[in-house]
Amino acid sequence: MEKEERKETMSVEGTWDIGATTWKGNRILEEYVRGLKQKKIIGSLCPSCGKVIVPPRAICGRCHTRMDERVTVSNRGTVNCFVVSPPVKKGEYNVLGMDPVEMGMAEEGEVLIPVYVQFDGSYSNVATTLENVDPKDVYIGMRVQAVWKEETEGALSDLEAVEPIKD
Amino acid sequence: MRNVAIIGCGQTKHASRRRDVNVAEMVADAAWNAMEDAQVTPDEVDSIVDGNMQGFGGIAQAEQWMGEWIGAPGKPVLRIATGGTTGGSVAQAAYYQVASGLSDIALAVAWEKHSDSKEAGATTGLLHVALGNFFHTFNYGMDLKSLVATAAVGAAAGVAVYQARHYMHRSGCRIEHLDMVAAKDRSNAAKNKYAHLQWPNCTPDDIAKTKMIVEPFRYGHICPASDGASAVVFASEDIAKKKTDRPAWIKGLASYSDEENQMMSENSGGTGIIDASEQMACRLSAMKAYEMAGIKDPQKEIDVAEIYQPFPSQELIFAERLGLFDETTAWKATEEGETEIDGRMPLDPSGGTNATNAIGSSAMQRVLEAALQVMGKAEEHQVPKDVHNAVAHGWGGVTNYIVVTVLGDSPRR
Amino acid sequence: MMNRRVAIVGYAQSRHQYDMQQTREDMVFDVAKGALKDAGIGREDVDTVITASTDFLDGRTISNVFLSMAVGAYLKDESKVEEDGAFAALYALMRILSGNHDIALVEGHTQASVFNPHQVSSFTFDPTFDRQIGLLNDVSTAAIQARMYMNGYDVSEEQIAGVSVKNLANAANNPNAQRKMPDITVEEVLSSKLYYDPIRELTISPSSDGACALVLASEEKAKEITDNPVWIEGVGSCQDSYIRDRDLLKIGSLQIAAEKAYKMAGISDPFAELDVLEISEKFAHEELMGYEALSLCREGRGKVLVEEGITEKYGEVPVNPSGGALAADPICATGLIRIVEAAKQIREEADGYQIPDVYKALAHGQFGACAQKNVVFILGGE
Repeated sequence: MEKEERKETMSVEGTWDIGATTWKGNRILEEYVRGLKQKKIIGSLCPSCGKVIVPPRAICGRCHTRMDERVTVSNRGTVNCFVVSPPVKKGEYNVLGMDPVEMGMAEEGEVLIPVYVQFDGSYSNVATTLENVDPKDVYIGMRVQAVWKEETEGALSDLEAVEPIKD
Repeated sequence: MRNVAIIGCGQTKHASRRRDVNVAEMVADAAWNAMEDAQVTPDEVDSIVDGNMQGFGGIAQAEQWMGEWIGAPGKPVLRIATGGTTGGSVAQAAYYQVASGLSDIALAVAWEKHSDSKEAGATTGLLHVALGNFFHTFNYGMDLKSLVATAAVGAAAGVAVYQARHYMHRSGCRIEHLDMVAAKDRSNAAKNKYAHLQWPNCTPDDIAKTKMIVEPFRYGHICPASDGASAVVFASEDIAKKKTDRPAWIKGLASYSDEENQMMSENSGGTGIIDASEQMACRLSAMKAYEMAGIKDPQKEIDVAEIYQPFPSQELIFAERLGLFDETTAWKATEEGETEIDGRMPLDPSGGTNATNAIGSSAMQRVLEAALQVMGKAEEHQVPKDVHNAVAHGWGGVTNYIVVTVLGDSPRR
Repeated sequence: MMNRRVAIVGYAQSRHQYDMQQTREDMVFDVAKGALKDAGIGREDVDTVITASTDFLDGRTISNVFLSMAVGAYLKDESKVEEDGAFAALYALMRILSGNHDIALVEGHTQASVFNPHQVSSFTFDPTFDRQIGLLNDVSTAAIQARMYMNGYDVSEEQIAGVSVKNLANAANNPNAQRKMPDITVEEVLSSKLYYDPIRELTISPSSDGACALVLASEEKAKEITDNPVWIEGVGSCQDSYIRDRDLLKIGSLQIAAEKAYKMAGISDPFAELDVLEISEKFAHEELMGYEALSLCREGRGKVLVEEGITEKYGEVPVNPSGGALAADPICATGLIRIVEAAKQIREEADGYQIPDVYKALAHGQFGACAQKNVVFILGGE
């Protein structure tokens, strides 16, 4: 099909109102945060393959069965993967419309280390951040332990981060 | 068992903003190019499969209003959208249309017009994959620090970064090898007139000079967001043999899906994947596809591969998962030039997804480019050797979807 | 004729309702598990899984990405269609006919309470002109078609309401139906809330939350799995032009799809040869137009079939004994439910609304404004 050179076309605007969406969630996270309040990490156990998934989920897809049983896993775990962020700078990006430095969520120049941690006894990675460590010293396989908020509230933020095990 | 072959391919020129066409014109361009290449008229096409990510372009079920432009009225039409694998899923469905006997000539068309979305890279559409999950966590006091960390790493690239980090840890691959892969892809793309990021004679040093975004990814490693469309015509054995001397036969295909990889599951639960670069689904899809194709030793029998690699680390990871290299050795092969266009195992002679990424169409482009290699029609980026078997790959979803298609110069027996 | 015989060997559906108190994950898991159980097979026996859902309706890009585990597709050859579940059944059928697979699990679902489906429909129109007007959605365009049909063939509102009366009363015996109205009358239908003249509350399908799944098997496997397979004897699908470019006085693509299916199944006189039909009638007038497109009667004569009770449960050609879409419309599951309901009739499992002596049935699914695309299945018993 022959096409001649064209300049830009006209444009008209449209929207789709994503605010009109109502997603549904189950109540399993409620059990998880109840555990966090007690500084415990809870996972769901598959009756068929015996894997424990943290945070708990409703269904084990490998066995195609519900995972209704809950078990507590260790507060210690292993770093399976990590990423070192570039230093946070004010004005560089925003999180839900807020500048992280301005809102005090992070310090100027701070380097964040998101990690995947597999707590002992579980077969899944929990995404959290690694603290109290020099980014140069982080390695896959590093042993870490949970860092809890002083006063836990029964929220996901109770599990603040993980840090290298000190002993 | 009915043999099916690709008899024609068409694409549009890819760019970050194709504002010179509206989406219907862009899709029609690819579709008509494919039909012309296949030497079929719209009347001869008796079924159509199409797909794109509708959240990005903001039009729901776009083929319902755009149908005329691709000759759809009066024909059976299927719409398929599976994230990054969309194009591959569409191509496979078109294959099944013909393989089932319900159709003789099927047109597969896939596209993406990111520039139609107000934000760059259709951020809202992308976020929507898991926005429901994120909002769910806010109900339970999700802490914002994690969000900041995610934003600092770059949400879209984030997943690939973990994969890369894991692969490098396991295999000994270094950032210099990612530079080599990206340089190869960009210079290959310069030989592909439809590609987006074309950098003739790009060298690893050129890439290494670009800014580090988040270790180990540099700016020069990351794929673009392209506007573009691609289309492929599938035909039954009888028709294929009449239309062309060198059809690209579909010898094997599979599209296994895995557990949600890295991202949380629905309702913010965990997922049982430990190794971020495991990709078991890719291994199984490749095994199934090779088995169907009668390929016992892919390292020897596959002549060229088109891998879906928005990030150079993925070219290496998936090349190994597709059985083209022994585990942890793909980076060494790259160092030795084996994956160059004139190498022993050329990977992405078209430049791949690293150079051109119109998400809905990218996985179909891999099938299309593999077909061009088999048919000998890849012009300047044709690999300089006989191509008997080629493999085309796609991944998507939350890194839990895979499509693998094996094409060759002789039909399945 | 098809190169391989394929049968439906098991199925399950949810209790369709408005705003189900279950997540998608649980809902999909339940029907997938239910269908496998009904067939008496396990996840390990399934070769391929095809699902149906759309990104806009589920409010999630890549709508099926978090559901692979729930539907049983972990490490399985899986794909999806982004429209009505009957098209997913069509794709699964193709996968088996190709010889590459023997057993397929098909699933379709929508939770309409997540995103108003009528609002989603407004995003399907031509973005440059029609969408800018802001008046077009699936209901307003259906109203245009209904009015054209009524004027074109002298069909009254009462005759159209007769379809609602039949289907909503039929639904009263269907445990999975959402809207059951055993004592409904034409007057009640005609005094229900007016949306776009002449479309009223009780002549539109309700927006439901629901899911449906079925298992398809090739002949050899089907015979191992069950003594009561429901064979797919014919299938046909077709898409019409965009709304402004087609003749709204009939559902042309349904006619073409039906003709293909009839030819494949060797049916020359649908009225005489079909024992029951399950049609996806999102609007009451669509069922009348459907009768004509399916060659049960001549153009414009659909009203006669309803007036004379021919399509009632006790009539010569029962249509929608389950209540049809007017009883429950979980968008992407609706067509798949029609296939299941037709199969139920053949297997004599439709307790409470069983039609006697069913050997051949027709099931239909549609998608798009004014039924722009259609797929027709002809099912037959042993």
